Amino acid sequence: MNGASPSFVSGNVDLLKASGLTKTFGGLAAVKNVSFTVREGMIKAIIGPNGAGKTTLYDLLTGIYQPDEGGVLFRGKEIIGLYTHEITAMGIARTFQTICLFPRMTVMENVMVGLHHRTRAGMLRSSLWFPSARREEAWMAEEALRHLDMVGLEMQAENMAGALPFGQQRLLEVARALATSPQILLLDEPASGLNAYETRELGEIIYGIRDMGVTVILVEHDMGLVMRISDEVLVLDYGEIISEGTPAEVRNDPRVIEAYLGSELG
Amino acid sequence: MLEEKQDTVPWWKKANRGFTYLIRRNRTLLVFAVFLAVMPFWAKPLSAPLGIDLIFVMRLVGVFTIAAVGLNLLMGYAGQVSLGQGAFFGIGAYTSAILTVKAGFPVWLGIIMAIIISALIGLLVAPILRLKGHYLAMATLGLGIIAFVFFREMTWLTGGNEGIRSIPGLALPGIGVTSRRGEFYFVWVIALIILALCANLARSRVGRAIRALHQSEVAAEAMGVNVAGSKIRIFMLSAALGGLAGGLFAHLQGFIDPNMFSITLSISLVTMVVVGGMESIWGAVAGAGVITFLPKIVEALPKWLGEVPKWVERYSNYEGIIFGLILILTMIFMPSGITRGLSDVVRYRRSPFINPFRKKVVE
Repeated sequence: MNGASPSFVSGNVDLLKASGLTKTFGGLAAVKNVSFTVREGMIKAIIGPNGAGKTTLYDLLTGIYQPDEGGVLFRGKEIIGLYTHEITAMGIARTFQTICLFPRMTVMENVMVGLHHRTRAGMLRSSLWFPSARREEAWMAEEALRHLDMVGLEMQAENMAGALPFGQQRLLEVARALATSPQILLLDEPASGLNAYETRELGEIIYGIRDMGVTVILVEHDMGLVMRISDEVLVLDYGEIISEGTPAEVRNDPRVIEAYLGSELG
Repeated sequence: MLEEKQDTVPWWKKANRGFTYLIRRNRTLLVFAVFLAVMPFWAKPLSAPLGIDLIFVMRLVGVFTIAAVGLNLLMGYAGQVSLGQGAFFGIGAYTSAILTVKAGFPVWLGIIMAIIISALIGLLVAPILRLKGHYLAMATLGLGIIAFVFFREMTWLTGGNEGIRSIPGLALPGIGVTSRRGEFYFVWVIALIILALCANLARSRVGRAIRALHQSEVAAEAMGVNVAGSKIRIFMLSAALGGLAGGLFAHLQGFIDPNMFSITLSISLVTMVVVGGMESIWGAVAGAGVITFLPKIVEALPKWLGEVPKWVERYSNYEGIIFGLILILTMIFMPSGITRGLSDVVRYRRSPFINPFRKKVVE
């Protein structure tokens, strides 16, 4: 498969709109005046050299950091200032660059944590094991297995997450994030540490996610993957946007070639 | 589809199904309940030759089980180390004692108030949960010290160093519980209910959320778990269980004074959780049992062995040394606790002891 697959037509709705995001850490601007728009149904890649501010940008979008300036509209609603779990509940999920699973919980339990905000049983109902809590639990188990099936981990459901091989841990992160039923999925270097075969599989999984109607934002160093699957690419360097456009446009942008890609694709 | 099927099933079948499900789910608990139910019959003749009043000690084990299971939820499951559980235990004990002795409340209401007041004070000090790891441990340690000073110095309310005497015994509306055996059953019925509820909680959505935030707060939050809120709720639950245990303790003892609720109590509660096994409901029972029985066994040792050598006896605190030694050895050879160690024997036919001197291959 090359180029963007046409099986899902990108809508024209602006799902996420960041404007003028700025974050400085002790005088060093990690993200500087970054504005971009993500339309529904697209795969948007954010690339840039190490330390360009990609992960900081994710942390701003998910409420882990508060920006010094700027705002983010998600479906027309401001999300800056909300707690991370509230943002997740609104429909923005993410994975982590350094794997952040719950290693001493089973694979299935990891995904079930992702279903947390979609279920309601509190302390009282859970401890008394009310029928409603029991039904919820059964639903969660079913739903968790469905998500594991999607990334091909259903056989590992009962194993400890920490015992999985590295590539599968990455996939589990994706399944767990999908379990939150997001409208946008932020993937943070999902292909790092994967071999060529696993990376190709990952590409298929990302297409699958997009075809489910989930918009994907992808921070990635693997240029092959980025150029192959993304609809739009945003290039950051030293916290600033230096180029934005389709993969072909970005590839030929002299600023990008100078700052980052160099001879790699030149 | 699930809903439709349930609607056609008559209620008694549903109830029956639910009942068998409950039994299957709580098999260990039921076995333990039966063990406790018949305990007074075999424990009585055994007590005299052992030199330990088993029923008397088991009542206390029940009380400490309640406090330890609360602490285990907070510390073992949610990973928030608290050296202040003794404070809530004391708050519960004093609340119930003061209300029953000075305000004439019935005992059951006193104990309920103990639960409520402890939980509310837990909520009041919940901001310390922003701290992490050692800092939280230090802050909760401070909490224990404040509570201790409060019990000792607020003489008009707490009776100061004298404490509070002639606290009425355990009673339900209409029924007084007078005998040791009655107290034993009273405490353990409550403890078993608490164990069942906590076991359910640990396996539920809430239990998963607190285990998740233990292992990675950032990831738990990003998965939609309200980390700060969950911590506060579990801290309140832990405080409430500490208060319940304290309330029961006050009525079992009949008198309380500040020294019972010093920092030593908090430390032995933490020890119960760690020795019994973190992240394990049964760990609380095992830990409470071991930590409560050990000193009594050490005390009774001279009786079993006949004479203790003079040079040992002259060293008046040798019980403490043996006690400490056993704890150290447990921690070295069964670092994940007694329950984990023993369940490994059953499940994997493996020795419960690990060799701490072997090189670790995998962490």
